[in-house]
This record gives sequence, C-alpha cells and structure tokens, in this order.
Amino acid sequence: MRSKKILFLILLPAVLLGLPLVISDAFILRIVTEMFMWIGLAITWDVMAGYTGYLNFGHGAFFGIGAYTTAILMMRGGWAFAATIPVAGLVAGIGAFLAGLPTLRLRGSYFAIATWALSLAIQQLALVLDITGGPDGMRMPPFLNPHFFYYLMLIVVAATFFLLWHLLERAPFGLKLKAIREDESGAMALGINPTKIKMQAFILSAFPAGILGGVYAYWITFIDPASVLSDLITDQAMVMAVFGGLGTLIGPVIGAVLIFCFKTYFWAYLSDYQVLYLIILGAVIALTVVFLPDGLWGTITGRLEGRRALRKGLELRPDPTPSNPKGDKAHV
Amino acid sequence: MSEPILRLDSVTKTFGGLHAVDEVSFRMFPGEIVGLIGPNGAGKTTLFNLISGYFPPTRGRIFFKDREITGNPPYVLAEQGIGRTFQVVKPFPGLTVLENVIIAAFCRHPRRADAESQAWKILEFTGLADRAGQSAASLTLPGRKRLEISKALALEPSLLLLDEVVAGLNPTEADRTIELILKLRESGISILIVEHIMRVIMNISDRIVVLSFGRRIAGGTPAEVARNPEVIQAYLGEEAA
Repeated sequence: MRSKKILFLILLPAVLLGLPLVISDAFILRIVTEMFMWIGLAITWDVMAGYTGYLNFGHGAFFGIGAYTTAILMMRGGWAFAATIPVAGLVAGIGAFLAGLPTLRLRGSYFAIATWALSLAIQQLALVLDITGGPDGMRMPPFLNPHFFYYLMLIVVAATFFLLWHLLERAPFGLKLKAIREDESGAMALGINPTKIKMQAFILSAFPAGILGGVYAYWITFIDPASVLSDLITDQAMVMAVFGGLGTLIGPVIGAVLIFCFKTYFWAYLSDYQVLYLIILGAVIALTVVFLPDGLWGTITGRLEGRRALRKGLELRPDPTPSNPKGDKAHV
Repeated sequence: MSEPILRLDSVTKTFGGLHAVDEVSFRMFPGEIVGLIGPNGAGKTTLFNLISGYFPPTRGRIFFKDREITGNPPYVLAEQGIGRTFQVVKPFPGLTVLENVIIAAFCRHPRRADAESQAWKILEFTGLADRAGQSAASLTLPGRKRLEISKALALEPSLLLLDEVVAGLNPTEADRTIELILKLRESGISILIVEHIMRVIMNISDRIVVLSFGRRIAGGTPAEVARNPEVIQAYLGEEAA
C-alpha cells in the first residue's frame, strides 16, 4: 500500500511534467491546462464549502477580480505580467476580506444568497466602469506559448493543492474549520473564534482563485464581464467539488477532471446542443445532492463529511444563538 | 479561605420581559464543588451561558480569578481557563472521538502532535481511549457525555461547568461519572455542576446554590439546603413546606 502510494507520488508529477514534451498537439495541451485551472477553482471552493460548511456562490468573482487586476495593471499600468500575479491574488484576498465582513455573519442559505448577490454586483460594476472597459472587456498582447501556460498553471495549481493539503489535512487549521462546520457554537466553547477562522478560510480560498484569474487573463488574452465574471464559473467549480466529494481535497480534483472532460467532449462534438450542457450540469448537481451527498470520493472512502457540509451550507433556519434563551438547545 | 475563583455580583439576564436570571450573586473558591439546583426553568442553564460567555448579562458583573470577565466571548473564556459542557451534548459528529478532543487541546497545545498526545491522555483518563477512532456520531449517550467532559478537560480549565452530565445515565454509568468528577476535584479543578438527580448533587457538592424563577433562594451545605423550607416549597409546592 505504502509503496504504491510512493510510486504514485513519483509517477504523477513525472507524467504531468513530461506531458508537453510528448504531446505536441496544442489543442490537447490547452485542454489539460484548462483542466488544471478548474481543479484549482474546485479545491479552493471546497475550503469554504466542504471544510467550513459555507457555500460561497460568488467564488467566481475572486477569479474575475484576479483576471481584471492583471489586465488593468498590464494594459493601464504597463506592468510586467509576472509582477501582476501576486497582486491579482492579493486584490482577490482583500476582496474576500471586505466581502466577508458582512456575509460571514450569515449562515446557511443566507450566506449563499448574499455571496451570489455580491458576485452579481461585481459583474455589474465591471460592466459600467471605464477602467475595466465596460461590456467591451479588455484585450491583452497575445503571448502564444502553450508550454509556458501549461507549466505556469500546473505550478500554481500544484502549489495551491499542497498549501491546502498542509493547512487543511495536517495543520490544526483544518480541524478548526471542521469544528466550525460541525457545530459553530460548540466550537466557541473550545477556544475557537469562528469569525476569525472563517475569515482566514475565506481569504485562503480567494487568494489562489485570484491568481488563477490573472493567469487565465494573460493566457486567453481577452476578458469581459460575461466570461470571467460569469455565474457559470462558480457553478462549474461547485458541481465539480460536490460531485467529487466535499470536505476532501482529492474529491474536487476527481470531480474537476471528470466534469471538465465531459464538458470538453460535449462542446467539441455536440456544440449544437450547448444549452443541454447546462441542463445536464443542473441535473448532476441535483442528483448528487440527493443521492450522493458525500460525492464520489466520500462515498468510496466512507467519509460522511460531504453531507455534513451540505446540511450546514443549505440550512434554512440557522441556529439563532444569541436571541434564544436556551441557546444550546436550539440544535435538537 | 483564599481568593474566590468565580464571583457573580447581582447578575441579571432578561429576555424581553422575562427575568431568566435575576440578581444572582455567589462566590466559588478554588477546589470546591458547587451544585446548582432548582426546578425546571429556574435559570440554571442561562446562568451557565452567562458564566461561559454565551450571553452577556443584562446587568451585573462576573469575575474570574479576580479579573472581570463580564461580556467576554466563550473562546476567550476558554483560553482564560473556563471549560464547560452542554446539557444537549455538542459532539462534532462527522469527526472521530480523538479529533473531537484534539480540537479542544489546540487551546493549550498549538502544535498538532502535542495536542494529539494530550488528547490521548485525556481519553485514557475518561475511559474513551478504546473508542478514539470511532466517529463521534456512533457513540451512545453515556459515551457522548464522556466525550463532552473530555473536550472540556482538554482545555485544561481551572473552572469546569458541568451541565447535567449524569442525567440519563444508568446507575453504574452514573457512579463512574461521579468518580470521575471527584478525581477532577482532587486534581485541583473547581467544579460548578447543574444536576437534577439529588442523590448525586447532595453527595458530591461542598456547597449548593438554589435557584427558583431566576432568583437565588438559598445557599449552603447540602444538609442546610435540604432543610430549608423555601427550597422544599420551590420543589414540592406550598403545602409540603
């Protein structure tokens, strides 16, 4: 078992690093590059959803903020691409901090609604501002080097994965997040300050998403509110994470690979039926929530964390602790 | 006697027009077990929530080891040394028993490995070590109550608030829990305990505070309280007194 694991840990990076040397087809490289990006979006979404029990319906906004930060700095400020990348993450992180101040006071479905509304507000903002180019979007000088973007995306996503793996699966931080997911008021009695920890998690999930947005903008060379600030970005990341298995890191990776392969196949061969893709995406999420709440990976490994995350994230009547005379009884 | 570890000065909590806790004052000294009793709805749990920071008091002040703690949130009080259990137990059901206790142990041991070894020690002490790997959801009620105590202990508190940790247990389990509480006192922890089972409270408490309709109606040794006509009246009604 152990030797298999080690073999896997050596083989996987070798395959990923060597792939561009073997495959010269730019189309395939492009697809794999975009798949890395979706893995990154799905695992960062899961930090809030699966580990903390907060369904962020505005995750795509952090991606969009990152994309616009890179585009604006390069086109209006004359910055070098490399210099814009940390700033893209930082701006997304600050965005999460500001968005978190009001929204992290909400629980259950109310948090989901509030983040969704905020992301729409940001999309509208990008549509009316001059600096973002409004509905016309922004064009960047093309840098047509598929290998560069393949490796860059791979590095960003791999670094994000290992950072999250360390923080969520090894360090105390992950267990504290899970304590909040399981019972927020109970966690308080154990010395956990939920407001602080949730804010850290929110920023942790936004920062890499902003970087991914920045890389995406330069890679695709054209961004507009309809592409990088679309609801579809959050929606797809969400379906990938839920389908793969919330509250784990492997689950969203599996979900992202499967859903993205399906999407690519669908758009390549059945492009006349694009509207069907959205219907199928909706059906997948509905069926998963009802019949496979722990997702693929959670069901295989017997971890029941997915359903716990969904239960908390979708709650319609979150525990109103301070106004309830017997606050600790509200959980019955 | 030394300085009080806990002091309540005319603490009041109102919910709308209801005085859930009304002008309650008392002191606790290090190493004491103080029993808090009263009929249903007397405000015992509300008082616990006030001391552990879940509600701020409407009026009055609370001191812990001579520091004012009125209005401090629960997580600050946990760090300062107040551990509590909940009447309706709050395990983290999706996590294992060990993980549940590790989370509490982070309060004193920020490093994962240290917290884990501390959690093992606590589980051995409370007798849950053989169930460490199970999910908390799979525990039976007695197990959950033990887990509740284990988590509070992992905070290494100097004051422990126990909210009905014996109720619902069969006599054998109840005796084991009482034994555990007495061992804790020996280790120097002060304990404030709410319990409905009189046999338990009368046997283990050094002193008893009686609440009725939010007010403190009596206080003293178990024997004194048991003879107090007001207490008998509160429990059994006018005629019995």
